[in-house]
Amino acid sequence: MNVHNIKIVKNLLDANDQVAARNRQRFDDAGILVVNVIASPGAGKTSVITKTLQTLGDRAAVGVIEGDIAGSIDTEKVLSAGAADAVQINTGGNCHLEANMIEQALGDLELDRLNLLFIENVGNLICPNHWTLGEDIKLCLSSTAEGHDKPVKYPEIFTACDVIVLNKIDLAEMVDFERDFFYESVRALNSDVPIFEVSCRNGTGLEEWTDWLLTRMKET
Amino acid sequence: MHEFSIMTYLLEGVEAEARQRQARKVTAINLILGERAGIDDSLLFYFDELTPGTIAEGAKLNIRRTKMSFVCAACDAEYSPDPKRGDFACPRCGEVGQLTNDASDLLIESIEIAT
Repeated sequence: MNVHNIKIVKNLLDANDQVAARNRQRFDDAGILVVNVIASPGAGKTSVITKTLQTLGDRAAVGVIEGDIAGSIDTEKVLSAGAADAVQINTGGNCHLEANMIEQALGDLELDRLNLLFIENVGNLICPNHWTLGEDIKLCLSSTAEGHDKPVKYPEIFTACDVIVLNKIDLAEMVDFERDFFYESVRALNSDVPIFEVSCRNGTGLEEWTDWLLTRMKET
Repeated sequence: MHEFSIMTYLLEGVEAEARQRQARKVTAINLILGERAGIDDSLLFYFDELTPGTIAEGAKLNIRRTKMSFVCAACDAEYSPDPKRGDFACPRCGEVGQLTNDASDLLIESIEIAT
């Protein structure tokens, strides 16, 4: 019996990356900007998506893929907020979305009608980082109420993301959110990532965030 | 809890590599995992659960952990913040440096196969 050492040096989730690359090709062919929304439970993923939809109005045709452990309540919310199309993925307990789940869901979306697609990942700041889905933009959504130490506790998402939306900015004082500490930690990890402070409750910052998205859509 | 999914992907990847090389057995799997990748030792539990009956049954799973590191802009020190600490401050001068390794690795480095 001969024993050989085989050098591989490959992402452990290479099979997922390959499906993600196929998804990415379909998105590119359809000219859609795709945003993977990653946040902890309660940060306001669905609220940010619905408020973004309302702010965009008829400036974009937006699709939403809702990833959730169970239920379809969020799909109903985004459709009534003006989403052009929405599809629900129930992961049945899985803590993250995987590229093949997106590939399947794409069968239920009319991509040609859309120019922006939000993929709302399962509420979790760790697991969704490893599974790329084929997105253009990884959005890290954080909220003041979760605390200013999120970047220190979950550095991976704050390092890997392309943009940060800091929600519930209207609560910052009430929850003793230390803005300087938050920014210092984020900048140590990801020196030039854009950060948008928003409030879904009073509308602060939604125009700036939406303008940034529109600029990115034009580049797609 | 994603350790189960990760182990499923790992074993599929390893089996594909091993079969491609006409291996009879996989005797060892060498992984590089970042300390901040959020993968805990339950990975070993799923390895024991999922390998019986596969080409990797009885293989040794070796894990090398990489550390998060920063370089301090003020005093040039290279440092790895203690995960128990609540900030990224340089232990020498207290300034917050710039990330040089985010320790998010999730890699199959190599496998050992018997042919």
